[in-house]
Amino acid sequence: MSAALLAAAAMLGLLASGAGAVAPVKLRAVLTVILTVAACGCAGAAAVEVLSTGHTAVIETGSLMPLSRFALGLDALGALFTLVAASIGACAMVFRLGYAGHGLSSRTASSTLPLFVTTLLLVPAASNVTTFLYLWELMALTSLVLVLTDHRHRPEVQVAGQWYAVMTQLGAAAILIGLVLLATRAGSQSFTAIAERGPRLTPSVRDTVFLLTLGGFASKAGAVPLHVWLPRAHPEAPGPVSALMSAAMVNLGIYGIVRVGDGLLGGGPAWWWLLVMAVGALSALFGSLHSATSTDLKRLLAYSTTDNVGLMLLGVGASGLFAATGHRTLALVALAAALLHVAFHAVFKGSLFLSAGSVQQATGTRDLDSLGGLLRAMPVSAPIFIVGALAIAALPPLCGFVSEWLLLQAMLHGLPSSNTAIAIAMPVGVGALALTGGLTAATFVKAVGIGFLGRPRNEAVATAGDVPRSMATGAGVLATACLVLGVAPFLVLPAVLDAARTATGTTIADPLSRGWSLGLSGVHGALAPGLIAAGLTLAIGLVAGARRLAQVRALRHVEAWGCGREIQTARMQYTATSFAEPLIRVFDDVLQPVHDLDISHTAESRYYVESARFHTSLEDGFERHLYRPATSMLRWWGALTRRIPNGSVHRYLVFGFVALVLVLVVVA
Amino acid sequence: MSGQPFASGLTLAVGAVLVCAVAVLWLSSLASVIRAVSLQGIALGTVAIVLGLHLHDPALIATAAVVIVVKGLAIPMLLRHVTGDQPLERETRPLVNVPASLVASAAVIFIAFARTRGIARYVGTTAGSLVPVGFAALLVGYFVLVSKRRPVFQMVGILLVDNGISLVAFLVTAGVPFLIELGVSLDVLLAVVVLGVLAVRLRTDFGDLDLDDLQELHD
Repeated sequence: MSAALLAAAAMLGLLASGAGAVAPVKLRAVLTVILTVAACGCAGAAAVEVLSTGHTAVIETGSLMPLSRFALGLDALGALFTLVAASIGACAMVFRLGYAGHGLSSRTASSTLPLFVTTLLLVPAASNVTTFLYLWELMALTSLVLVLTDHRHRPEVQVAGQWYAVMTQLGAAAILIGLVLLATRAGSQSFTAIAERGPRLTPSVRDTVFLLTLGGFASKAGAVPLHVWLPRAHPEAPGPVSALMSAAMVNLGIYGIVRVGDGLLGGGPAWWWLLVMAVGALSALFGSLHSATSTDLKRLLAYSTTDNVGLMLLGVGASGLFAATGHRTLALVALAAALLHVAFHAVFKGSLFLSAGSVQQATGTRDLDSLGGLLRAMPVSAPIFIVGALAIAALPPLCGFVSEWLLLQAMLHGLPSSNTAIAIAMPVGVGALALTGGLTAATFVKAVGIGFLGRPRNEAVATAGDVPRSMATGAGVLATACLVLGVAPFLVLPAVLDAARTATGTTIADPLSRGWSLGLSGVHGALAPGLIAAGLTLAIGLVAGARRLAQVRALRHVEAWGCGREIQTARMQYTATSFAEPLIRVFDDVLQPVHDLDISHTAESRYYVESARFHTSLEDGFERHLYRPATSMLRWWGALTRRIPNGSVHRYLVFGFVALVLVLVVVA
Repeated sequence: MSGQPFASGLTLAVGAVLVCAVAVLWLSSLASVIRAVSLQGIALGTVAIVLGLHLHDPALIATAAVVIVVKGLAIPMLLRHVTGDQPLERETRPLVNVPASLVASAAVIFIAFARTRGIARYVGTTAGSLVPVGFAALLVGYFVLVSKRRPVFQMVGILLVDNGISLVAFLVTAGVPFLIELGVSLDVLLAVVVLGVLAVRLRTDFGDLDLDDLQELHD
């Protein structure tokens, strides 16, 4: 049954893509959305069935690709990612129905978008190397096309596309080499056969495969230092596409690391996982710091994706480290925490990116410093964004809190271990998680406070109406899910545990007791999200009631103090830049901001200022210190080699002659 | 034909092919260069005839006839047509001067002999033992292509390379099938026609021309 559903999902996705290519422009959006949502429904149902029965859904056919079988086999680990992708895909497609602009209704874009969603659904189901690489590459290419939809009108889209194309292709090449090496050494390209023989390969082969695939998958996940494409491509992509990329596509990077590291290679030495944890901690800190200082709404969200991917990697790394040192229960808990964060991050980041898309469509800008007062202008979309922001800031009773709590518990329980590596790595991980949490809270206080509260900073923002109902529905479903999953995490927890068990190959019964409360058996720690929610509601009700009772004096409207100025404008409000300023000051050494103050005086006196311009810019440190030298070196090398073919026919003939003689001398 | 007459006849003809190639490097007047090309074509045909008589293969003799007609007569005639109005034209400033290019051709012939004896031993026949000479002719032809400046010499160089390849083919496999040799010869004829037309057009458009002046066209 689940295999048939999976096949139906693939067929419907292809049909939607075809419909997008041939349908008349009026029907295009509706047709592709209906078919793609149906595909997501089928894939989601298949995933749910796999997760509930534990049977793997298998589809194999030899007629699709030459020399290799096209093989899909959805197990519990893949099913979790397919389920997440299906949920995000369906919501993003419903959102897309009302999304105008960005050229998404062109023939190319409307046939590529369903294809992209379909690959997101099928990549976790691939069960041999060729199928996996084929679907992976298709996913990379379709997402590249979608990032570039608006390239005719905005040159920055082209730059983003170039960065994305280079990084994704480099990553895909690393994965290709790694998996092909693994398949040849294991003597089979089927994942089940590799998983059997993988642990018995020589350490050097295993290390090479792991490092290559880690690099490739980390670049797709947007982990530091391979994240540079992410804060460019995600903001420039159309709204639903950036939601899909940030909430569903980066997850597959995590999937790849878990599948290869835990599944195919069957775990590895402690240093692999210490490396993963280091990358994770660095990504979390770097991403949260940059998102705290960004003033572009979507760029901020993109950096926070790097931050959350860092947390997932922290969990995956901790799990691997526990497994390598023999702590099987903790390994399972840590991996479950990471996978739970994958699912929850998808939910809240999906709602955030979709509502950011709504804001952009309604106001025409993503710059926080020119937004403001959106809560009044967009009474539906703004609360959706606020719910997402509360979830990502890990505040109870929303879903972000549960997964980060579980991650923290898993790492804290590693502290009493006698193993030196764990004793050093875990406190560092806990510290990174704590600092990241604080920075994320600051980030979203800024995003909500500056963008949605206060007064509108210009006319376009003040008169912005709310978006069509379909867009609000797409984002709203995800925001509701944030709340529901935060109160009742047991809805997904068994599935996540099944996935983690499949990945690690353990059969430990159940380290997390189910029901309304969440306890860790064998270790101390319990959480009752429902109770927290009830308590919070009660407390808020009490405070609100007490304030109403205490409010005996009538409300007085008075002029706020205006620093001695008579006229107050909306532009005098606190801005996102000023909010981030103290943080930039504190992290001056890391961020290295560039300030530029330009003052011109009147001709009569130096004591009067005619005009003043202040400009501050923050560059990505990795871009400046790593990528710029690398690209300039490549350019230098290119210029050098371009000098050799100078157009002289004789020089080209000499090349041929020398090559021929060399071949004779060396080969013959 | 067999025994001593066959061996010495074949060696003589094969040697003539190489000598003609080296002669092109040495000579500077266009008329004599074209004569050398013509002679090389005829020598190549002779190789095929000798081999055909030895193997009693009428197809090979027919191939030889085609080679002599196309490479010995038709192509030199076309070349003469291209250079028609300046029969006394000379290569005045080659990239490598004549003594140096003779030394270089000696080096190239040495390399060919040193590195292709393996092939000769592998083939094993009398004809096979002459394979290094074919490679040497090929490389000398390539060297003509590289070292001379005038467009006509480029055509001559291509012809020498092609003759070298044909010679190796004759010696290794006792002749390629008739149809293929016919096709190859006609291709070369066509290439010479196209190059000739191009050279005449270049001369009428740009005057007397050095190939290296065409650098402007690169990317």
